[in-house]
Amino acid sequence: MAVIERIVNWARIKSPWIIHFNSGACNGCDIEILAALTPKFDLERFGIILKGTPRHADVLMCSGPVTRQTKDRLIRIYEQMPEPKFVVAVGTCACSGGVFDGCYNVLGGIDTVIPVSAYIPGCTASPHAIIDGVAKLLGSLKKK
Amino acid sequence: MDRVIIPIGPQHPALKEPESFRVTLEGEKIVDVSLRLGYNHRGIEKACESRTFMQNIYLIERVCGICSHSHSTCYIQAVEDLAGTEVPKRALYIRTLVGELERVHSHLLWLGVAGHEIGFDTLFMYSWRDREIVMDLLAKLTGNRVNYGINTIGGVRRDISKEESEEILKAVDILEERTKYYIEVATQEVTLINRLSNVGKLSRADVELLGAVGPVARASGVDMDTRRDDPYAAYSEVSFKVITADNEDVYGRTLVRVGELMESYSIIRQVLKNMPDGPITVRVPRKIPAGEAISRYEAPRGEDVHFVKSNGSDTPERVKLRAPTLANIKAVLKMLKNYNLADLPIIIAAIDPCFSCTDRTISIKKLDTGSTEIVDWKSLREYSIEWYKKRGIRF
Amino acid sequence: MIIEEEIQQKLIKNYNFLEEKIRIPRARRIYFEFPADKFEGLLEFLMKEILCNMLCTMTGLDAGDTIEVIYHFARKDGIIVNVKISVPKDNPKIKTISNYFPSAEYYEREVIDLLGAEVEGLPEGSRYPLPDGWPDGQYPLRKDWKSDVLEKENK
Repeated sequence: MAVIERIVNWARIKSPWIIHFNSGACNGCDIEILAALTPKFDLERFGIILKGTPRHADVLMCSGPVTRQTKDRLIRIYEQMPEPKFVVAVGTCACSGGVFDGCYNVLGGIDTVIPVSAYIPGCTASPHAIIDGVAKLLGSLKKK
Repeated sequence: MDRVIIPIGPQHPALKEPESFRVTLEGEKIVDVSLRLGYNHRGIEKACESRTFMQNIYLIERVCGICSHSHSTCYIQAVEDLAGTEVPKRALYIRTLVGELERVHSHLLWLGVAGHEIGFDTLFMYSWRDREIVMDLLAKLTGNRVNYGINTIGGVRRDISKEESEEILKAVDILEERTKYYIEVATQEVTLINRLSNVGKLSRADVELLGAVGPVARASGVDMDTRRDDPYAAYSEVSFKVITADNEDVYGRTLVRVGELMESYSIIRQVLKNMPDGPITVRVPRKIPAGEAISRYEAPRGEDVHFVKSNGSDTPERVKLRAPTLANIKAVLKMLKNYNLADLPIIIAAIDPCFSCTDRTISIKKLDTGSTEIVDWKSLREYSIEWYKKRGIRF
Repeated sequence: MIIEEEIQQKLIKNYNFLEEKIRIPRARRIYFEFPADKFEGLLEFLMKEILCNMLCTMTGLDAGDTIEVIYHFARKDGIIVNVKISVPKDNPKIKTISNYFPSAEYYEREVIDLLGAEVEGLPEGSRYPLPDGWPDGQYPLRKDWKSDVLEKENK
C-alpha cells in the first residue's frame, strides 16, 4: 500500500486542485488570486486548476476575515472537502482579521474557525507571494 | 408554464463575491428577481468613529480592492473641505494621475471578466496580461499593486520623478495600441456583437427614474459624469470627452468602457505634460473644525458619494459611504426581467458589480432548499455558454 | 456662486422661515434644515422648481435625543442640495420617498437597520445591511451602542 500512497501523494503535489472562497474580503486578494492564473504569473503551470466545488478540491484558498455568519458556511465548505485537505489563508485579513479586527461583525482570521496550513500575509498578498506560499505548501507535502 | 424559483448565490456570483439573487423563472424567461444584499457588511462606518481622521484613510481604502483610490480620495476631499485646506496643485495632479491609472486597470479587469462570463477566455487572458502593465506602474509609483495609500490629508505622500513620468508615457503608448485592438474586436467581431446586443436593455427613462450611475447610465444615452459636472482634483484643467452610447444594452456598456480607456490615456498624457512644480502636501491640524461636508468622485463604476461630519475633535462624528453599485442595484433588477436565464451572468457582470463597496459588512445567509434548485455561479455560467453554443454563438 | 444664490432666493421666497438658515459653504453645495412634517411638500418643490433630479444618498445620524436624516439631492449641473430633518428618538417615524425615488429604498432600509428609525410606506422586502440573525433592538450606529453588547447577548 505504501507504493500507492506514494503515487497518490505525488499526484497531489504535482496537481493540486483549488477551491477559492471569499468570506467577505474587500476583493483585493481575490483579484490577486485570479491574477495569479493569468499569463504573467501562470499558476496553471504547477498543475493547479480552480474548481467550483469543494468536493473536488485539495486546497481551500480563503481570503477575508471571518464574520458571524460566514463561520457556519466556512465550516461546511471545509467539511465537504475530502481528506487530506489543506487550507491557505491569503491576505492579512485571513491571517488575523487585518484592519477589520474589532469591528462588530468580524470574528478574526480564518484560524479561529478552521485549521490553517499556510499563511500568506500582505495587504494585498501579491501574486508573487501567493505562488511562493503555494510552492512552500507543496514542498512541505513532498517531505512527508 | 410553471414558475420555478432559483436562488443564485451566495457563493461565487460575479467577481467571486457573496450576494444572493432569487430568480423566478417561467420556462427559460426571467419573470422576477429579488435580491438579498448585506453579505459583505463589515461595520466600517461604525469603526470610522473610533479612529482618527488619518487612520480612517487606510480603513476606507480597504472598502474595495479595485476602487480603493476612489474611496480614499473622496473621503479626503470631504475632510479637506471641512478643514478649509488649499491642497497644492501638484498633489491634485498626482491624485488625478493615480485615479486615471486605477480607471484603466479597473476597465481592463472588467473586460476580462465580461469575456470570461460569455466563454471568451482568450479575451480574459489578453486583457489581464495588459492589465499587468498598469499594475507594475502603480507598484512603482505608489509602492503597492492595490490599496496604494498615496493620499494624506492635505496632499499626497509620494512625489513622481522624471523617470517615472517617462515610463508611464511609454506604457500608455503600448496600452493604447492594445486598446485599439480591443475596440476592433468589440466593433467588428460579429459573434461578440450578437452575444451582447439587445441583452439587458435599460431605457433612458429608467436610468433617470432608478438613479443608475456610471457607465450603465452613459450606455443608455444619459450624459452624466462627475468629473465634468462636479469637478474635483485636477479635472477642471484637463479636457476630455464623456463617452456615451445609445445602445442601452450590454454591448453599449462595453463600448462605453472601452471608449473611456482611450480618454483615460489622453487625460494621463495631459496631466504628465502640465504637471506643475511645487510642494506635494500642506500641513493640516489634527483636530478638524466642526461641520458637515459631502464629496463626490467618479469611480470606475460610477459616482461615489462620501459624507463626513466632524465635531471638532480628532475623530469623525459620522462617516457615510455610498458606493456606485448600490445605486445600480435597482437598475439591475429591472434589466433582468424578460431575458433568458442564460443571459443572467453577463447582465449582472455588465454593471461591474462591486458588492464589497456596496455592503461594507459581512454576513452570509444559509439558503433554505425546499423545492428550489440551488445553482452556483460557475454552473450557471457554463449553462449560459452551452445555451448560446447551441444557437451558433461560440468563441 | 450665482446659481447657488438664485436657488437660495427661490427657497426663501417659498419658505420664509428659511431666511438666514441656508448655508452655502462652497461652490455647488447648499445645506439647510427643514421640519419633518412638511418635508413632502418641499420634495415636490425641489423636484419641480429647483430641478433636483437625483437622490445621491441619505445619511442617518444619531444626535442625542433626536435622529437626523439628511437627504442629498443632486442637479444635472452638479449642485448638491442637502436637507436635514430631525425626528425624536423615542418616536423616529419618517415617510418613505421611494415613490418619488425608487433608489431611496436601500438608503431607508439602512437607516432602519442601523439606527432604528421607522419608515412608513416602504414596500415589502428583506432587510439591509444587517444579517438575518441580528438581535432585535440592537442598532449599531447609535452612539451608545458598543460591540461587546452583542457578545453578551450571544453568551
